[in-house]
Amino acid sequence: MKTPPFLLLAALVFWGWMSGFLLVGALMGLLLESARFISARWELDDPDFSRVWFFCVLLNLALVLYVFTMNDETGGIAGMFHGNIMRNVSDSSVQTSTRFLRWLPMSLFALMAAQTFNLRPSVPMASISLITRWRQRRHKGGQDFAGQYADISYPYFMVCLFSSGIHSNRGDFHYFAGLVPLILWALVANRSKRYGLGAWICAITLGVGLAIIGSLGVNQVQRAIQHIDAQLMARFLRQRSDPLQTMTSMGRIGGLKLSAKIVIWLQPRELAQVPEYLREASYRIYKPDKMTWFSGDKLTDFKPLQPEPDEKTWVLLPGKMNNPAAVNISCYLNGWSHEDNMPEGLLPLPGGVRRLENVPPYMVMKRNQNGAVLAAGRGLVIFDAIYAGGATMDSPPNITSTNRLDLDVPTNEVPALEQVIAEMHLDAGADETQKLRAVSRFFSSKFSYSLWQGWDKVASTNATPLTKFLLTSRKGHCEYFASATVLLLRQLGIPARYAIGYAVHEAHGSEYVVRERDAHAWCLAWDEKAKNWVDFDTTPASWVSMENHFSAVGLWFSDARSWIGFQISKFRWRQAHLQQYILWSLLPVMVVLLYHIIFRRRTQRKRPAGKAGLDADVIWPGLDSEFYQIESRLAACGVLREPGEALADWLERALSEPSVAELRPVLQQLLRLHYRYRFDPHGLSEAERKSLGDQARQALNQLSPK
Amino acid sequence: MGKFSAMTSNPFDAARDTYRKIAANIALIMRGQEAATRHLLASLAAGGHVLLEDYPGTGKTTLAKALAKSIDAQFKRLQFTPDLLPSDILGVSIFDQRDQQFHFHEGPVFTNILLADEINRASPRTQSALLEAMGEGQVSVEGVRRNLSDLFFVIATQNPVEFRGTYPLPEAQMDRFAMQFTLGYVSAADEVAVLTAQEHNHPLDELKPVATLGDVIAMKEAVENVRISNELKRYVVDIVSATRAASGVQLGASPRASIALMKTAQAEALFAGADFVAPEQIQKLAVPVIAHRLVLEPQARFSGVTARGVVEDVLKKLTVPA
Repeated sequence: MKTPPFLLLAALVFWGWMSGFLLVGALMGLLLESARFISARWELDDPDFSRVWFFCVLLNLALVLYVFTMNDETGGIAGMFHGNIMRNVSDSSVQTSTRFLRWLPMSLFALMAAQTFNLRPSVPMASISLITRWRQRRHKGGQDFAGQYADISYPYFMVCLFSSGIHSNRGDFHYFAGLVPLILWALVANRSKRYGLGAWICAITLGVGLAIIGSLGVNQVQRAIQHIDAQLMARFLRQRSDPLQTMTSMGRIGGLKLSAKIVIWLQPRELAQVPEYLREASYRIYKPDKMTWFSGDKLTDFKPLQPEPDEKTWVLLPGKMNNPAAVNISCYLNGWSHEDNMPEGLLPLPGGVRRLENVPPYMVMKRNQNGAVLAAGRGLVIFDAIYAGGATMDSPPNITSTNRLDLDVPTNEVPALEQVIAEMHLDAGADETQKLRAVSRFFSSKFSYSLWQGWDKVASTNATPLTKFLLTSRKGHCEYFASATVLLLRQLGIPARYAIGYAVHEAHGSEYVVRERDAHAWCLAWDEKAKNWVDFDTTPASWVSMENHFSAVGLWFSDARSWIGFQISKFRWRQAHLQQYILWSLLPVMVVLLYHIIFRRRTQRKRPAGKAGLDADVIWPGLDSEFYQIESRLAACGVLREPGEALADWLERALSEPSVAELRPVLQQLLRLHYRYRFDPHGLSEAERKSLGDQARQALNQLSPK
Repeated sequence: MGKFSAMTSNPFDAARDTYRKIAANIALIMRGQEAATRHLLASLAAGGHVLLEDYPGTGKTTLAKALAKSIDAQFKRLQFTPDLLPSDILGVSIFDQRDQQFHFHEGPVFTNILLADEINRASPRTQSALLEAMGEGQVSVEGVRRNLSDLFFVIATQNPVEFRGTYPLPEAQMDRFAMQFTLGYVSAADEVAVLTAQEHNHPLDELKPVATLGDVIAMKEAVENVRISNELKRYVVDIVSATRAASGVQLGASPRASIALMKTAQAEALFAGADFVAPEQIQKLAVPVIAHRLVLEPQARFSGVTARGVVEDVLKKLTVPA
């Protein structure tokens, strides 16, 4: 080991302290340092190192897989930088996506130990570096690289420091305070003798000072990176619904088109009993100048929900249910919560949802007055929603004298609305049901669905897009219908809200799928008699078929992609049972791979033997010559023959030894006979062969030590 | 049988006798160059050509001349210059006014021993004119194939110092030479002996032939009959193919190198007094036979790798049959 004594021990203990494996770290350090006192060594060759390295890589891969599936805390890249915030979410769990990085000193220990206890304390580059191996293969002979060996004790030391810095238990200052002395220790051991200690101390002080300043700057960088991470995440995900406002595309020109990507999977507990709409949020205030609906409250108005003691059930609306139905919903959370640092999104829920069951652990849920449930947790959530007709979790309409949010109509829309109401020919004393029926009839008879928006929809000085929709074009998509209906109902004195979400209509076997293009907007109308909100959709039913019109030829491909994405997400966010099997199969896989390593070792040993066998087919003549005994006898006296040295040259060298000089004529005669026996295609005669044996034995006797 | 041939029945002994006489005759002129003489004669006896590369004044031309004079054979000397043309080597047909016909005038290549002095001074085109002659013992001029004599031996010399105005030999041309070796400076004592010998007149002038053309051809035949075991043939091939895999080598030695190594080793064995080849004879000749054929990678060359070093390395690493 090149590292100064006990540096590795200190680094490993530090790592153990920071990562909570103090005992393991101390044990590994002691084991490595014990090499300084134990003289026994292994004799590992290059293939052995390759095997050890292969094992380490496998171990790491297995750990990555394991950690990936055990991802209880979410976070992606951000998790690497922020362990502490994660812990707020799930206090009991210390499992993070980057755990394997913290385990590096353990998973690479085998390689380090192999080097430490090897006769030559270095690791062949070719066994660990693909680049070296590739270059070796490129240069046929590869002598240039065969001899490259590297001492990995310092790299291992750096790995220990790196791993200690990941999710340190003790906070930043402790890590920094531990890191500096360790690095100083390593540096002082490798100090250049050219400069005095004073200069060195000055340089180090400067370096440490810069490091302190830098570490303060790192906090800023960290924040910036987190921000980038969140943005990155958001880029790959669908635009999420904002619970506070929804901007409609009313008044814009051009076609509306949404992808056929499947975003929600539904599995009704009882066949074909599936909610018609999945609502994400509802809004109360319409601002015609921005064509935007606002919910009328702030994010802080969201009230946190508490799960039941079993941590799996969340009651949204207590009370008795008549005729409850249940549906299993799988949906993505495609927003990002900066507060909790994890994916967040509005849950698409059936109207009249009462409780959520089998919700994955470690979720944070909040709800607002308008019946939107904001959930944060994994990127994919799967749960059972229990719903029933009747009451919903929306607040009752606000129709007090001071605050008439649910009856408010923007003044510039009033003339058009009045004109339309006049057109409907309502009786003066019509009740709510009649009004609703009249509105419904009005839209279905006189309006048509269109995704295309022409010039006629653009706001002009005297008419808003909605006015144009109501009075002239009478064509539009669901946002027009929903907005117009809400305002119309309000004008008629019925409290109404604007709801967005998804329409469920596409069955896939026993399941239902909801595509991105099934996004829908509709109206919530207040039923004064039943005292609850009812879904009221005036969009012509033709919209479904119209949307399906867009289904591309490659829909099955898109579906397959969605399905694969769904399965991967399920796996990624640990919602599948598959992951349990994978965890269990990890062990046998390792065993099989280990067996493979051992097996490969055997085949590797076989190969050179096979090559030798090729030559062994040709048995060269004269290999039984007795001269070889003389050679080995002389070699025993110290005159060893190099593999590339011809016998004659070697004998000449051997004969320069005074002790055997007297045998020169005998040995030279023997060599001549031996050469003829070996290399003359004519060979020796019987008598000559016999004489070779006799003379050799005689010479051997003379050579034998007296 | 010529007048100089020894009256021995064994063709091997006769060939050895021829070798000894020629070597001794050359030694009268070339002091301290026994090893070089032996290489030269081995190449002659093996039917290969020789490229002598050494500094000016080390006796390249003298050695070639001494060999030519020792054999009662035709000898021609050709000084290569940049303006030398292929026809200057091979010969040319000239129209005879008297009988109104073309007559072929043989060039210097129609001889037994050809000294191509400073071969790298001629253009590659002219150098290539020697290719066919050296490789196949024949020349094709104006569509007519003409055979050279049974003994055709080229001794080419080149100067490794001067590079200006020279054309390095192409690889194919280099491959045609069975051996390339240097003479090197002799010891002080030998140099004094050279001075003494030339005090009054050049001893080369007084050199008399000691072997006939028939003797040399008989020697060539004898060499062909020197035995070599399959194991040593394999060793030869192993050496040559190892140079192809050696690091720093762009182009390894060809099978022609294997043939040359085997044949010269046979000659060397004959000179050493054996009827069959021993491994050390192959080792001894591996460098002069193989080194000049290797093309090194520029990178390796700049880092000090030499072709000679590559071959020596191969010999050291390869297990020799014992």
